[in-house]
Amino acid sequence: MDIEFSQEDLAFQVKVQDFIKQNLPKGMEMWTKRAEWFQAMRDQGGWDIAKWPVEFGGPGFTPTQRYIFDMEMARNSTPPQIPFGVGMLAPILMNHGTKAQQDRFLPSIRDGSVNWCQGYSEPGAGSDLANLQTRAELSADGTYYTVNGQKTWTTLAHIAHWMFCLTRTQSTGVKQEGITFLLIPMNDPGVEIKPIITLGGSHSVNDVFLTDVKVPVDNRIGEEGKGWTYAKGLLIHERTGLAGIQNSVLGLAKARKNALSVKVGAGTLMDVPAFRNKVGALEAELLALEFTELRSLASVASGGNPGPESSIMKLKGTEIQQRVSELNLEAAGIYAAAWGAAAGPGFARGATSAYLGARATTIFGGASEVQKDVIAKNVLGLG
Amino acid sequence: MDLSYTEEQNLLRDSVKKFVDDHYDISQRNKISASDEGFSREHWQQFADLGWLALPFDEDDGGIGGTPVDTMIMLEEFGKGLVLEPYLPTVIMFGGAINAAGNPQQKAELIPAIIDGSLIATFAYAEQQAHHDLNNVVTTADRDGDNFLINGEKSLVLNAQSAGKILVSARTRGDSQDPHGISLFIVDAAADGLTRTDYPTVDGLRASEIKFTNVRVSDDQRLGPLDEGHGIIEKIANRAILALAAEAIGGMQTLYEDTVNYTKQRKQFDHPLSEFQVLKHRMTEMFMEHALAQSLCMKASMLETQGSSETQRTIHALKYLVGKASRFVGQNAVQLHGGMGMTEELRVAHYFKRLMVIDSQFGNTDHHLERFVA
Repeated sequence: MDIEFSQEDLAFQVKVQDFIKQNLPKGMEMWTKRAEWFQAMRDQGGWDIAKWPVEFGGPGFTPTQRYIFDMEMARNSTPPQIPFGVGMLAPILMNHGTKAQQDRFLPSIRDGSVNWCQGYSEPGAGSDLANLQTRAELSADGTYYTVNGQKTWTTLAHIAHWMFCLTRTQSTGVKQEGITFLLIPMNDPGVEIKPIITLGGSHSVNDVFLTDVKVPVDNRIGEEGKGWTYAKGLLIHERTGLAGIQNSVLGLAKARKNALSVKVGAGTLMDVPAFRNKVGALEAELLALEFTELRSLASVASGGNPGPESSIMKLKGTEIQQRVSELNLEAAGIYAAAWGAAAGPGFARGATSAYLGARATTIFGGASEVQKDVIAKNVLGLG
Repeated sequence: MDLSYTEEQNLLRDSVKKFVDDHYDISQRNKISASDEGFSREHWQQFADLGWLALPFDEDDGGIGGTPVDTMIMLEEFGKGLVLEPYLPTVIMFGGAINAAGNPQQKAELIPAIIDGSLIATFAYAEQQAHHDLNNVVTTADRDGDNFLINGEKSLVLNAQSAGKILVSARTRGDSQDPHGISLFIVDAAADGLTRTDYPTVDGLRASEIKFTNVRVSDDQRLGPLDEGHGIIEKIANRAILALAAEAIGGMQTLYEDTVNYTKQRKQFDHPLSEFQVLKHRMTEMFMEHALAQSLCMKASMLETQGSSETQRTIHALKYLVGKASRFVGQNAVQLHGGMGMTEELRVAHYFKRLMVIDSQFGNTDHHLERFVA
């Protein structure tokens, strides 16, 4: 065992750090200079698509390099990519799409000119995704599908140009069979979007109603009825990305800083044992979770599969995200109630909505209860 | 020992319950919350007509002479509907302070106006540097001849935009944390030098930041003895905690009941969610947390009624336990409602936010646990 990165990996880390130092937009430029940032990443030889294979323009990172790359990006709060195109649809197109579909969609996914959203969840299909009912019927001449149904919790549907969508083409037999993967343009007159306001008062998710939407068969990925298999690979992908470890590391450092700015008696909130112990407990658990991620990585880097311990990343990672948000909420004290108003310390304004928003992390991408069922079955062999 | 409610108490509970059932489904609440003042003056007048605003005041002052147990019964029902009317700031906090420390003249002027519904009032005590410590006051009231001049800033003053009178704590002596040297003043809300920034709170109520710049008050406006207002503040805080705890308990009950009903209806994997053991156990734990908090709320309210020496310690335990239970019940109500629990559409989210705010007021879970074990 060797806990240190190799010389090559350390050199790579320095390279990434230098790149960030030179190119990261500062302050408000985070919003105005996004395009320049991603162009600079692209000019490095595919850093904008770090997870894509070399044949599609990816940088060909080793697993360790990718870990270092992701960690440095998160630690420095670099502008995030909207994940639906680059991170979620692209791998499916690469693995299951035709050459024509790849040529048609990948370039605009990469340059960010076309936004995608994910049409999976439905009112009756949440954790039990395979229960989805949105119907797609093939026309008599076999040239197009007519899609009817409702999708829900569709993140950023209101700014999306396209939706990748799971539809039902067969309703007999096993639920997981008879699901077909279609690409649907959002400007079709049969697509109607209704915002869902979530408990932080914000709008990022939507109901999407599909009424007689005509989808050419050219927009089908892979074979009819095989969509579940394609999506399943994607879901696993989504779940490993949801642990948010580096964000929690940053969030916890901020919580500590915030607490040091909150006066309590002659000292600060960090002098209050109950609060300080919670910060410490989270730091310890995060250390363990970070190293758990490294264990999986090491196993993959030496040619194996990620070990069973990797299954806990989403479960534990989201729990920690929620607890970090609780610390900031507690540090805000009475100002937790004031949220958007100009009252109390500056950090209090974001603390409340962050706490409220974080409640979703143990629900989406597979609720924690379902995750535990999966681990019990697949890892522990229980039922 | 008899822990059953009296006939009067049952009548009170039933009438409050009826009001909440008739006027406080979530769409009605959202409408009231979005209105100009964030509560309904019409409801407030109804409270007056029903005698609810007279409940905790002494009969000699025109009140009903109700006990903290009576208030608990009322607030628990309010909590089930997330009632928005300013009962806590006007009756419990401001009214409680006048009741506890007012001179005959002050009582005669203010209590009837509260009881008949014409006076909304509030208590400005919170300051940023204090975190949850009630003895930490830096707003000053300096002598100026026969008067005092108040200078400083107060936070999260509930319903100040609707208030006619504001009770203000200010330092008249000592350093920022000296419990001796704090005095209380009854300030006219329209006084010169008082400026407000009003805002809706995350739980749909109204609060204000208030700045005092040379606000002149006479010695007649002082409530209770000079420099010794801290004891009164603690008394009000205890009554406020009892009220908030009762409200939280009502809210938790709605949450676990809604969750039980939802999981019976919601099917995933071909079964109602309520058939999954892990969820059954979770809901049982929600019920347990609620029941324990409710027990301690009853005990604390009874001790407060008797004026027992155990009261203070029990109230610390209560605020701790209610905070802990609220977080567990609230978070799991959202979790078990899944995505639906994250929406503003269902009432679950609104109760969750109210419970979150209650924990942040008058000292959170950590604050009271520390004092309980001390």
